[in-house]
Amino acid sequence: MVFTSFNFLIFFPIVIFMYFVTPQRYRWLTLLIVSYFFYINIEPVFALLTAAISLSTYFFTRLIDGTNDEKKKNKYMVINIILILLPLFFYKYFNEINNSIFMFLDQFNVRWPLPKIKLLLPIGISYYTFMAIGYTIDVYSEEIKAEKNLGIVALFISFFPLILSGPIERANNMLPQFRSGKNPDYDMISSGAKLMLWGYFMKLVVADRTGIYINSIFENAEFHNGSSLIVATLLYPIQVYGDLGGYSLIAIGVSKILGINVMDNFRRPFFATSMSEFWRRWHISLISWLTDYLYTPLTFAFRKYKIWGIVIALMITFILSGLWHGASLAFLVWGVMQGVLLSIEALTNKKKLTFEKKFNLNNNRLYIIISIIITYILFATTEIFGRGTDINEAITIFHKMFTTSGNIFIGTSSIVIYMIFGITLLLLKDFTDEFYPNKFLLFESKYKIVRIVSFSFVFILILLIGVLDGSQFIYFQF
Amino acid sequence: MDRNVIVEKLRDIFVRILEHEEFDIKDELSAADVNGWDSLSHMLIVGEVEDTFSIKFKFRELNKMKNLGDMIEIINSKVDL
Repeated sequence: MVFTSFNFLIFFPIVIFMYFVTPQRYRWLTLLIVSYFFYINIEPVFALLTAAISLSTYFFTRLIDGTNDEKKKNKYMVINIILILLPLFFYKYFNEINNSIFMFLDQFNVRWPLPKIKLLLPIGISYYTFMAIGYTIDVYSEEIKAEKNLGIVALFISFFPLILSGPIERANNMLPQFRSGKNPDYDMISSGAKLMLWGYFMKLVVADRTGIYINSIFENAEFHNGSSLIVATLLYPIQVYGDLGGYSLIAIGVSKILGINVMDNFRRPFFATSMSEFWRRWHISLISWLTDYLYTPLTFAFRKYKIWGIVIALMITFILSGLWHGASLAFLVWGVMQGVLLSIEALTNKKKLTFEKKFNLNNNRLYIIISIIITYILFATTEIFGRGTDINEAITIFHKMFTTSGNIFIGTSSIVIYMIFGITLLLLKDFTDEFYPNKFLLFESKYKIVRIVSFSFVFILILLIGVLDGSQFIYFQF
Repeated sequence: MDRNVIVEKLRDIFVRILEHEEFDIKDELSAADVNGWDSLSHMLIVGEVEDTFSIKFKFRELNKMKNLGDMIEIINSKVDL
């Protein structure tokens, strides 16, 4: 069951009803049951995996908390991390490694007739694995105490709004909320509903409309000219933003209606003025997870190399982040590109600040606009390699962009018009939120009539031009 | 080591790495209060502190340093040994 399915429209009201009739102290149990129901609905056997990860994490965090022996604490943490990473590695990399070994042996005319196993990646496995690892490390670092109720730990790992695509939450935010099961107030419910509505708009109108157009170009890249490929490349980040950003808003909104506050995942990313700022606004829950549990320990380990230690840490973090997206050369290139761009920014950071101060550029509109455009183009370019295609195709697209020209592909004009309309609306909202935070309010207007008209407008838009045939979310595959 | 000596040495390090003096040295001072004290400069400062006092932090101690007071206390516990 996914958020954009008809089933979810029936499931969620039932969940709300069940949640509110349950006494507060047992609400975690209701949430746990419906979460497993939600996940079992996708593929029953996957639920065994979340159960196993929950059990292992519960068991080892209790052990960590129960001893004062530093070595033992460390050992328990490492064992649990390895154990819960095993399924992720197996599902994500088994086939790639298998194929590589076959191909390698084949070169020496050795053929190894093992049947190929068709593996279906359990949806959301990365997200709940990361959450479980984060919790384990938090207990080890004494940031939080180990939870004594197995059910609460299991709920943290399987909470249905977050299980498929995040945001990747932290135990110190979620566990107390699950324990208390407090009632949401009116503001929470209404803001949750607004977030859901806008999330559906971002997904069904912006991402899916844009997706139809972009796919018709990228999937037939050999027949398209450079101009069309440039347009598709520049639109792709908006599709991903609509897709994962929209999904995240629905997840945050659903949680809010149940009285649970979940962290933001995107903060108007396309108004970032540098790559480092971009990564503080884009897929925030993943980046802050990587920062806390990978990048910071790495910078600490390499601190004697001063600024170069930071460069090493950035490169490792983004290369691993690339390979997490998939075991392919294209994703490796993507990771290296991110790492190099961020390293250049880290190395020139001081010079840039001095330069900006000297010419008073921080409030210079032209400078800000140019910085925003450069950042966007840089990110869009790296995403050619971050789309999940193989490296040769990515290189072909990259090459063609600069060598062939011609008219931009239009295809079905209604699709393009709807797409432009949706994107304009999304960017306009982000623009006013970014630069005029308390002006031009529609959803939050103090006039009831403005609020009602704007909700209805977005609602009708979704029904009229949303893609309602239940397409997949891009980020489920990770 | 005298607390004031630690504080003075720390001030020197901050000025050297951050290249400004726009902060008040007090126990409650945290990275968020200081211009330019971000994840980049943080580890540079930590490295400088270790070199200056000839000590080594553990990663977990770093997590527990929430403000300058915490940092001074941890340094103090290490240089006295």
